[in-house]
Amino acid sequence: MSDLAERFIAFPDALSAGPMFAIGLTLSAFFAGNWLFARMGKPLWMPPVLLSAVMLAAVIALLSVNYVNYQQGAVWITVLLGPATVALGIPLYQQIHHIRALWVPIVVTLPIAATLAAVYAVLIAWGLGATPEVLASLAPKSVTAPIAIGIAEQLGGSVPLLMGGLLITGVVATLFVDLLAKWLPISDERILGFALGLNGHAIGTARAFEISHTAGGFASLGMGLTGVFTALILPLVFRL
Amino acid sequence: MSMLRGFLILVLFYLLGEAVRLIFLVPVSGGVLGMILMTFTLMLRGEISDALASASQALISVLVLLIMPGVVGVFFMASRFSGQWLAVAVALLVGTFLSVLTTLLLMKGVLHLSERRRIRE
Repeated sequence: MSDLAERFIAFPDALSAGPMFAIGLTLSAFFAGNWLFARMGKPLWMPPVLLSAVMLAAVIALLSVNYVNYQQGAVWITVLLGPATVALGIPLYQQIHHIRALWVPIVVTLPIAATLAAVYAVLIAWGLGATPEVLASLAPKSVTAPIAIGIAEQLGGSVPLLMGGLLITGVVATLFVDLLAKWLPISDERILGFALGLNGHAIGTARAFEISHTAGGFASLGMGLTGVFTALILPLVFRL
Repeated sequence: MSMLRGFLILVLFYLLGEAVRLIFLVPVSGGVLGMILMTFTLMLRGEISDALASASQALISVLVLLIMPGVVGVFFMASRFSGQWLAVAVALLVGTFLSVLTTLLLMKGVLHLSERRRIRE
């Protein structure tokens, strides 16, 4: 009987030696997070990815699965981020007609705003004594996750810290756009959508699609262009 | 089958991007280079094949799943960045507020100027 108990205690580690355990765990948390998100009435401040991640972390900690083992197995999932990033080129192409219609405001605003989105955060963190690793993790905070992960890796940042930063940035950017739209006041859906995508990546874009299809289109464009621009510029700036 | 064919196209563009990165030592990830190559290719061709559309749609719809293993890491690295959390929090909150404000004002100003010029012409 004690043999059985021993095997029972050891089973999470034995199972998690192969990748299928990490895949099953991640998929379960993904569906559970989406289900809970729908049950909570789709709150803006609590994106499904955060719900899923909290549940996943809790299960990993409760089963005392070795986190390194989990990450090794989860490579089977994260490796798909490469082709998924390439896939973002398709919606970017579909939104590119907005550039033709409004190319002056977009071409002027995008480089300045996308650069400042990174510069503000890096300067503030640097002033408060953050290490270079933290600065490199914060710099791509307004970029959509698959592209941002590539940037952080190139700069020598920490991917987990970046992911935390991305989540917070996406949520507060959405709240700030809503707030400032009332204060300033701005009601042009093209401006609001562009600001949501540029600053709040996928979370902001999801909000923009709730405003209107036009806002969503401009958000997709802002998100895509910010991703490309930041990915090209940041590594060059960080080398200096 | 059709979706797999689209997936193959995405994988090939990714590998092409990686090849460009490794050969020309570009400090940009292979995925982003592949995405840029994909966008330009589509602009030249002017259409998206069904296979490519379905494969990209499938991947984009599960992006959250793909980034989850990275997000989970946040909960297992608290000690590594101890003493820097205030800097991180202030940078994210104040930095994002400033960048949202900048974007809105800049876009509003430039849009206003360019539309006024169009009316005058």
